[in-house]
Amino acid sequence: MGDGGGGRGGCCPPMDLFRSEPMQLVQLIIPIESAHHTISYLGDLGLIQFKDLNVEKSPFQRTYAAQIKKCAEMARKLRFFKEQMSKAGLSPSAKIMMRGDIDMDDLEVKLGELEAELVEINANGEKLQRAYSELAEYKLVLHKAGEFFYSIRSSATAQQREIEAHSISEESVDTPLLLEQEMSTDLSKQVKLGFLAGLVPRVKSMAFERILFRATRGNVFLRQSAVEDPVTDPVSGEKIEKNVFVVFYSGEKVKNKILKICEAFGANRYSFPEDLGKQAQMITEVSGRLSELKTTIDVGLLHRGNLLQTIGDQFEQWNLLVRKEKSIYHTLNMLSIDVTKKCLVAEGWSPTFATKQIQDALQRATFDSNSQVGAIFQVLHTIESPPTYFRTNKFTSAFQEIVDAYGVAKYQEANPGVFTIVTFPFLFAVMFGDWGHGLCLLLATLFFIIREKKLSNQKLGDITEMTFGGRYVILMMALFSIYTGLIYNEFFSVPFELFGPSAYACRDLSCRDASTAGLIKVRRTYPFGVDPVWHGSRSELPFLNSLKMKMSILIGVAQMNLGIILSYFNAKFFQNSLNIWFQFVPQMIFLNSLFGYLSVLIIVKWCTGSQADLYHIMIYMFLSPTDDLGENQLFIGQKTGQIVLLLLALVAVPWMLLPKPFLMKKQHEERHQSQLYVPLQSTEDSFQLDTSHDSHDHEEFEFGEVFVHQLIHTIEFVLGAVSNTASYLRLWALSLAHSELSSVFYEKVLLLAWGFNNVIILIVGIIVFICATIGVLLVMETLSAFLHALRLHWVEFQNKFYEGDGYKFCPFSFALLSEEDD
Amino acid sequence: MGFFVTTLIFIVTGIIASFCARICCNKGPSANLLHLTLVITATVCCWMMWAIVYLAQMNPLIVPILSEGE
Repeated sequence: MGDGGGGRGGCCPPMDLFRSEPMQLVQLIIPIESAHHTISYLGDLGLIQFKDLNVEKSPFQRTYAAQIKKCAEMARKLRFFKEQMSKAGLSPSAKIMMRGDIDMDDLEVKLGELEAELVEINANGEKLQRAYSELAEYKLVLHKAGEFFYSIRSSATAQQREIEAHSISEESVDTPLLLEQEMSTDLSKQVKLGFLAGLVPRVKSMAFERILFRATRGNVFLRQSAVEDPVTDPVSGEKIEKNVFVVFYSGEKVKNKILKICEAFGANRYSFPEDLGKQAQMITEVSGRLSELKTTIDVGLLHRGNLLQTIGDQFEQWNLLVRKEKSIYHTLNMLSIDVTKKCLVAEGWSPTFATKQIQDALQRATFDSNSQVGAIFQVLHTIESPPTYFRTNKFTSAFQEIVDAYGVAKYQEANPGVFTIVTFPFLFAVMFGDWGHGLCLLLATLFFIIREKKLSNQKLGDITEMTFGGRYVILMMALFSIYTGLIYNEFFSVPFELFGPSAYACRDLSCRDASTAGLIKVRRTYPFGVDPVWHGSRSELPFLNSLKMKMSILIGVAQMNLGIILSYFNAKFFQNSLNIWFQFVPQMIFLNSLFGYLSVLIIVKWCTGSQADLYHIMIYMFLSPTDDLGENQLFIGQKTGQIVLLLLALVAVPWMLLPKPFLMKKQHEERHQSQLYVPLQSTEDSFQLDTSHDSHDHEEFEFGEVFVHQLIHTIEFVLGAVSNTASYLRLWALSLAHSELSSVFYEKVLLLAWGFNNVIILIVGIIVFICATIGVLLVMETLSAFLHALRLHWVEFQNKFYEGDGYKFCPFSFALLSEEDD
Repeated sequence: MGFFVTTLIFIVTGIIASFCARICCNKGPSANLLHLTLVITATVCCWMMWAIVYLAQMNPLIVPILSEGE
């Protein structure tokens, strides 16, 4: 893997992305009158990360707490509008039209007015709606109860006519229904018969009836009839199925009981005239009022819709404005206020390249706010570790995120992201080598890339969002998969003779022993990739296993070497010669004298076609290095070479372990000594020096701790060299699994279905094949190959050089603001 | 085509790709160096993959034995 092109320090310009941007700690002293403008312009620029200088103050004690409260109030109003809009089925127009500058105070007033208006409209609308549903219920009662009274009355009169002199009890039931005059005669008996009519929810009607019966000891007469369509309940505003009821009772006490029960059951009562003429009159009156109310409500709704539409047009703009304003005050709250209360002091990190832009912004702010005094910009010196900032574009950002997910790079350390851009998709493709599947991936990702502009403004689902974010990673993965697929010569597991004829042929014309002794190589090696003849042959698996296993080791050793080489660039960059001589060099020697040697052996074996057993060689290189190699000898002087390599590897271990801690101790002591004898400098300077050194140098040099740390590091590397090499064998395992799975689907589904000579079976077979290919090979295998490639990068590659203990640069930026909230 | 001829083709392809990257997106020396690194890494990866498979088939220890059915 490309060792070339790493950040070669002096001779070349610094490589983009290889080191994080140089940062500086800056101090801004801003006059209070131009503070708002300044922060707003810096937010537009988005290249400065403010430090919170008021950590000890609670949010309420800070200078601009009141303004933040005001902004929060405005945000609440906006949320209210949004809620109302979504209820009304409107969505705020996506396009943001900037209609000049809107003053925050004006906006506040306007929002307040709009909210009041909307609340009033809503309240009125609710009132009207309630009246409307009440009337509607009333109308229902009039209808149903009227019908009921009518039927009772007709049956009663019929009964009376037929059966002449009969029970008084029946009469007494009928009396109140018949005539009011008769009721008045009953008054003398102190039994007042009355009735109530109303609606009760259908689910409660049974219980209602029972309770009524019990409470009055059966002295009621209840009639119910179901209303077919659900009725809007005036109180809750929901549609409920209801029954109309009429209940007859006698006595004032019972009436009170019934009223209470009605209340408890949420049964709405309505006055009901007994007189038929009055009923008809009421019905027409109610219908008239209903239609009147309906038009009123419609007009109200239209008005509300219009109001919401106007709000919706400007909603996004206002929302953005309010959020900006809030973030500005948040930032202002992080600044410390001067004793004279005339200026604010800000501290923050910014990339050095942004100095000019920041100064420009400060100047513009001073000018625009008509301030007498300009803001002061100065760079502070600090020993604090600056944040890590990589300038990524839409292509590189996804790869950088892969690295950041493991750990954010230490300030200015070599960024594995540079190589990850190529090696990550490459390792993925080694496991996913099939150019048919690669093409499918390519089409899927091209769909995302072509519709990039449209999709980036949309809200996507979780999984789609993730795929969309990684579209360029998937693009690279697809391209490399197509390449490795061509190398493996697999197109949905089918080989093609794309690059000339196979190198193998039968031994003789009859081809008798093709399936026993095998074919023979007659031409030059197949020029590109795996010979198609291997596919489906009995020796396919042994051959591919041997090939892929060795390939995994070769690729692994190359990538680990690249990792160690990057540690050299790190050491050189931070001018740490200890790390070069006592870490980089012995590590290189150790890894290459064992696994580098193994790689050489593999290549030599291939080139010479020797039968030597590499396991045997490697094992006996440790067990008995002085023994004769015999038939396993691959080249002359191999035994001596092996002994030398073994000795080098053995020497490399203490070389890694011992000198570094002692030298570090010596260095520390020297520094300490020289500091003790430093002549006293001018007072102010030495003061500053002292404060800066306090935290750094005066701390005790814990030799034990350093030694244990080095011991762990050494053990980790030595064991890691073995286990990491073994870990690369996952390349072999996954690529084997992938090709076996796809050939199983091809043979056992597609070819089997084809063999039946039946259209329906063929169609089913094709459908199953497509589903299996998409579900298992394209989705699950992609995921697993992705995860394994991820692991190989995070663990096997990055542990050779990457510290990853930095923290990310999070600038104060309006552009990032909108992403955050959504 | 032998091993060295194809290797040469890879090298030439790599060089052409580097020039393409240089001509198509010339965004200053730092970015160019990044692009060059990417192209070289990609070329080396691809070449390595090919070379491994080619070398493995050059002097076969196992030969293809066809299945019984064929």
